[in-house]
Amino acid sequence: MIYVLYSIVFVICIYTGRHYWFTLNRLFGFQRHPYIDIDTADWPPVTVLVAAHNEEKVIANILDALMTVKYPEDRMLVIPVNDRSTDRTREIIDKFVQDFPGRIQAFHRVGGKGGKAAALKNAMELVNTEVILIFDADYIPGAGLIKQLVAPFFDLEVGGVMGRVVPLNAGTNLLTRLLDLERSGGYQVDQQARMNLRLVPQHGGTVAGVRLSALREIGGWNENSLTEDTDLTYRLLLNGWKTVYQNRSECYEEVPEVWPVRIKQIMRWAKGHNQAMVTYGLRLLLGQNRATLRERIDGTLLLGVYAMAPVTLVGWALALGVFYQGVAPLHGVIALLSLTAYAALGNLAAFFEIAAAVRLDGTRKRISLLPFLILGFAVSIFSVSRAAFSQVGDLVTGAEFHWDKTERFRKVL
Amino acid sequence: MNPYLAVAALFLMVSVMFMLPLVPALVELRRKSDALPLNVVQQNSGEIRHFANSFRDYIKGLQPIMQHCAADGTSAAGTFPGGEEYIVLGRADEPLMLAFQQRDATHPVMMAAGVDLIVPPNGTFSKDIYAGRQFLGGDQNTYRAILGETTVHLGASSRVMRWVHAVGEFTADLGCRLYGRISSDSLIRLRRDCSFLRLNAPRIEIGSVAANQGAPSPNGTLPASTGVVSVQRFLHDGDFEVQAGQIINGNIVIRGNLHIRSGARICGSVKSVEDMVLEDGVSVEGSLISARNMRVGPNCAIHGPVIAEQELTIAAGTRCGTLKHPTTVSAPRIGVEEGVVVFGTLWAREQGEVVARQ
Repeated sequence: MIYVLYSIVFVICIYTGRHYWFTLNRLFGFQRHPYIDIDTADWPPVTVLVAAHNEEKVIANILDALMTVKYPEDRMLVIPVNDRSTDRTREIIDKFVQDFPGRIQAFHRVGGKGGKAAALKNAMELVNTEVILIFDADYIPGAGLIKQLVAPFFDLEVGGVMGRVVPLNAGTNLLTRLLDLERSGGYQVDQQARMNLRLVPQHGGTVAGVRLSALREIGGWNENSLTEDTDLTYRLLLNGWKTVYQNRSECYEEVPEVWPVRIKQIMRWAKGHNQAMVTYGLRLLLGQNRATLRERIDGTLLLGVYAMAPVTLVGWALALGVFYQGVAPLHGVIALLSLTAYAALGNLAAFFEIAAAVRLDGTRKRISLLPFLILGFAVSIFSVSRAAFSQVGDLVTGAEFHWDKTERFRKVL
Repeated sequence: MNPYLAVAALFLMVSVMFMLPLVPALVELRRKSDALPLNVVQQNSGEIRHFANSFRDYIKGLQPIMQHCAADGTSAAGTFPGGEEYIVLGRADEPLMLAFQQRDATHPVMMAAGVDLIVPPNGTFSKDIYAGRQFLGGDQNTYRAILGETTVHLGASSRVMRWVHAVGEFTADLGCRLYGRISSDSLIRLRRDCSFLRLNAPRIEIGSVAANQGAPSPNGTLPASTGVVSVQRFLHDGDFEVQAGQIINGNIVIRGNLHIRSGARICGSVKSVEDMVLEDGVSVEGSLISARNMRVGPNCAIHGPVIAEQELTIAAGTRCGTLKHPTTVSAPRIGVEEGVVVFGTLWAREQGEVVARQ
């Protein structure tokens, strides 16, 4: 038992070190934004896919925004991918198609497998441009965003692009404010540090782009994946394509405003991520592929982030067990590691990361909400663990993964 | 002490200590003083002409006064509603006749003219300048910003701190220091020893550009070749060399150093993860991207964006982009020899310099 605990402590120490490395890199290291200066170019034709499943509350906002972006009109086609909606989504999309002839082409999907990846896969029959951008329906792109997301594709090594997500409803309640802090940490520090260090920035599946030839090379969208973005990141990486992160390509999104929706969302992410870990983990770390050594290590650690929640819970249980059994594991290096581990159990490294992100964002008072992140952390650790355990249960019973759409909170226009 | 009381006191103390860090959080949660979404730039999106356009809107109200002064050959002074002072000049040589001509003078007043504007040397213009017609600056001046509706010419060793936009040609004489954004709707011409950060114009000429240069046109005749190679996307781990005169139909990604010998032609895009060198007369129809240093030229023709993540040197006779297909050339540090032409944007994040031909 004690050796299992030692192993857990060791792994937690690695993640702690990783958090600190990323944060210090963002604060003091060289920042890579190689493509952000491309403001003049012979812009390639681009298709913008907007995934929409019962999105009557938000779909008009994004279509409006896309019709005003600064990109040559004759080179941009917007395809709202209406995935079996039962509300007014279809009606709203059709009105836009009518109002902007030639600029929007509707794709109404009435049957088939559920999930975003399956919908995107079907919509590919309408796509014939080398560059594809993907947005979820609750996003509101700014005027310059399309050019910024297209620019990295001038680099032939780039297969995927990811922009930064900024919560629009940040001030609604405690949950949205905590998610605002988490997003800051995740993008401003975590993603950008991975970009700086030439590691593995993660494709987020929205405010994102993918190269058609790369997508075809890796076999298209994986409709069996719960998180098509993570799945895409790793398949691109294994095939010698890079995913790049553009921190200054910001886009507003709507974050969950109630805890049950947040829990459902994070459980889906956890299951999808774990699914990718099982599918690609060993192949990435040890298999023959085009990833560099640092990409293999970082990619593997990234795959394991959601698995850390149940591991931490098990670690806590083992620590209690060891204590009550009267085992005294405190000697030398182990004591030091344990100490660091317990700091990590409080997720202090992640808190440091978020605090640094808030500072980099130039905001001030929202940092005082940092202690409340304990609450978000507690909810996440139990939700993610529950997702992992239920996933194991699903494996045993042979149950299929179920895709849950995230509920929207904006008022219907 | 009563043990129950002691336990209660201990419990209370621990609770207070636990709650203490939450006090600022609770205050912020209640007050929402920093609860707005992050300010994401939605509209100007880094547009180089943003400040020029805003300034043009700002001084729109001065147009009647400028017309009046230009017609009468008089000057006028006043104050904007926001409190900023301005002076409107009605004669091209008027600055010379005012107190501006004394050496090292500082002019903390916004200046506008509906006529040609000639400013004397050795001055510091710490407010924006609007020239309704030509602007001719003396040597060794320092400007905050200039908007010229026709041509703008800066004298030798002048400095621009924020931005210049010229609807017509913009020229900077020897040794100018251009710290901000410089844009023109027709042509930017920089002479030797100028430094720059961000330039944008349909055509940017560095130094004197010979009419008939050796740069091959991306759509011109092919050089004598030693072989044609067709690839969709050639991905190579390690260093790589493209032979002189070789033609490659496709895109190449090299995870090492890349050396492209004289006269080679790449009908596609090129990426190197380490240093990249292009010898004389190379032509690339797509983009050229290096994750480290890049040396281009002389006499190369690049059609797409040229990006180096560290240092970029462009030798004489090289052309980047075309008038019909403008492009971006960008790196933290750029050295451009005289005789280079860029169509579009030339952007040095840290330092850009015009250097003499080697």
